[in-house]
Amino acid sequence: MGSTFGGLNTAYSGLVAARTGLDVVGQNIANVNTDGYTRQRLVTTSVESPARVGLASAGTVPGQGVSVDAIARLGDLALDGRVRSAAAADGYQQVRASALSTLEETLGEPRTTGLAAGLTSFWSAWHDVANHAGETAPASVLLARGTAVATTLATGSRAIDAQWSTVRDQVDGQAGQLNQAATEVAALNERIRSGLQQGVGVSELVDRRALLTEKIAGLAGGTVTERADGTVDVLVGGNALVRGDVARTVAVVGGRVLGDAVGLEWADSPGRSLGADSGSLAGSLSLLAPAADGRGGVLAEASAAYDALATQIATQVNAVHRTGATTTGATGLDFFTLQAGVPAARGLSVVPTSATGVASAATGSGALDGTVADAIGRIGASAGSPDRAWSTIVSSTGAASAAERDQAELTGLATTSAKNRQQSGAGVDLDEENLALLSHQRAYQGAARVMSAIDEMLDTLINGMGRVGR
Amino acid sequence: MMNRVTSSMTAAAAQRHLQLGAARLAEVQERASTLDKLSRPSDDPTAAGEALRVRNLQASTAQYQRNVDDGSSWLDTVDSTLSSVQGILAKVRDLTVQAGNGALGPDSRDALARQVEGLRADLLQTANTTFAGRNVFAGTSDAPAAFAADGSWSGVPGAAVTRRVGPDTTVRVDADGAATFGTGPGSVFTLLDGLAGDIRSGTSALDRLAALDVRMADVRAVQGDVGTRHAQILRSKETLIDTSTSLEAQRSGLEDLDLAAAVLDLKLQETAYQSALAVTAKVLQPTLMDFLR
Repeated sequence: MGSTFGGLNTAYSGLVAARTGLDVVGQNIANVNTDGYTRQRLVTTSVESPARVGLASAGTVPGQGVSVDAIARLGDLALDGRVRSAAAADGYQQVRASALSTLEETLGEPRTTGLAAGLTSFWSAWHDVANHAGETAPASVLLARGTAVATTLATGSRAIDAQWSTVRDQVDGQAGQLNQAATEVAALNERIRSGLQQGVGVSELVDRRALLTEKIAGLAGGTVTERADGTVDVLVGGNALVRGDVARTVAVVGGRVLGDAVGLEWADSPGRSLGADSGSLAGSLSLLAPAADGRGGVLAEASAAYDALATQIATQVNAVHRTGATTTGATGLDFFTLQAGVPAARGLSVVPTSATGVASAATGSGALDGTVADAIGRIGASAGSPDRAWSTIVSSTGAASAAERDQAELTGLATTSAKNRQQSGAGVDLDEENLALLSHQRAYQGAARVMSAIDEMLDTLINGMGRVGR
Repeated sequence: MMNRVTSSMTAAAAQRHLQLGAARLAEVQERASTLDKLSRPSDDPTAAGEALRVRNLQASTAQYQRNVDDGSSWLDTVDSTLSSVQGILAKVRDLTVQAGNGALGPDSRDALARQVEGLRADLLQTANTTFAGRNVFAGTSDAPAAFAADGSWSGVPGAAVTRRVGPDTTVRVDADGAATFGTGPGSVFTLLDGLAGDIRSGTSALDRLAALDVRMADVRAVQGDVGTRHAQILRSKETLIDTSTSLEAQRSGLEDLDLAAAVLDLKLQETAYQSALAVTAKVLQPTLMDFLR
């Protein structure tokens, strides 16, 4: 037999469990829109009947009610890991795709105001000079268009430089974010460990830490390993960024001018590269790499292509221009000059200042001959023309941008799908919470009913005893 | 396979779909309003490269057309000048034949000689015809006149004024002054001086007549050559018009969007976006809360 008041206690344990359940539902609903919140569930077990002790205790005894064991956090480590690796790949791709898209805008093609249009009107101007050799008007048009080509090249080259500097600044900012996140993870690790030792609920802290490790993955890739004491280690490139309550610092090394090598190092062991191969930091670093025969960083390569184009224009025009003679008979003159010490695309300028400096005539063919001007005008239509080179730059940049965009779309989809799966397990569903609310409410009502039934029973026993027949 | 569908998932998915729809709508709107198939090279890298090439060809063709117009004017001028030269020389020949009549008195011969001298002056003026400030019989020279009064030529032997009418084709648009009039002592001007002197002195001018005939044949040959070149430049003009038409068609095919297709696309995306909005409004509203009392 159980004790007289045992039933009351059983009912009370039901009341406590139902009320705790309602509180958990309240917490879930309150955080339905909280970023990174993982839903929680009440874990209860039934309490078995007391063991038989002594001879007096006999008969079958029911269980002793319900015990509230834990409030479980319904996250999935594997799904969290997948979200992190997807975020790392996506961070890398998005940075590259957006940089290439910007680079492509800098080219300003295909438009009527781009470099291609500038070059064709430059060649046309040479034909006009050939038709009207020695006249001032066509020559000044030619000089203006030559200057326009040089200006367009310089503007393009400067825009690439500016973009490089922007990405360089971004790297500093991202490295700062990485260090900040690592410090926070280490601090959370410490709080979670002590919380677990004291038996305090740490679900919310774990949620915050998961958000931070996801951010770290988006910045620098890396893996997360869980340890028995509840802390996590974050490894980037095989080395620990966070171990227990200790976070290491990452430093950006390298110059601030296009062409400088930029890298990430461990602040506590200079010279050792971070070795991050995914995440937005790695993406930015891949953009900043110096040029290396077409396989270097995108921005440096584009800048080198501009310089090569400027050199090509100057070389091809000058080679023909030198063979020509001006109206006064001067020969061996350059049309373009490249300023020493600055990138070719920015140092290109037109030498002649008036019609007298334009060598349009073949030597010995009369002052008003236009053969050489015609030959320069034909450069634009030749097989190895700067126009073709430019068109190759435009197509290849376009193709690279399209490829990176498609890739970024794919990694974006992968991230969405991983996030979806994670949310499918961890997200709060209002319908479900309503059901839980309802069932806990009913459980509370039921337990209360049991309690009042026992109370009535005891009332009958205590107050009604010995009053039979009255 | 999705086990659970949670509120945040539904909201995120709805937001994503709406964003996608809005992005697509913005893209087709941009295309429909600019009617450009290629707004940036990555839309179609190959077509972008091709479009640049076609535009380059278009610009060259436009330049060739300008060259053709200019060259055609030059050749017109040269042709009509050569006709005048023929006329003048024919008159000189008539006068020479007339002077061969032995019955003429000194006064009449003097009058004939004066006429020949007048025609010589005409011829010199004609030989110094200019087009747009340039001597048509000494095209590459910057001398004020192609022929001086003594018949010396200021042109550069072998140099020609040419116009480019195609990537590999040029047409000469001036006439060789030396071939047409001869130079210095061998020039038609010296010949006419001699003729006038012979007529005045009563010497038989008939032996100079043969030289004059040779000179006239030279002018005819030059004129024939000019005619051939004129025909060539006119043919080039037609070819260039054809080329520019086909290039424009190519460019349009590469860069321009079909209006009907653009509008249809826009309407489709609009409908898609609106239905996404409607569906989202329906899906996001109900929860169990709406049905529990």
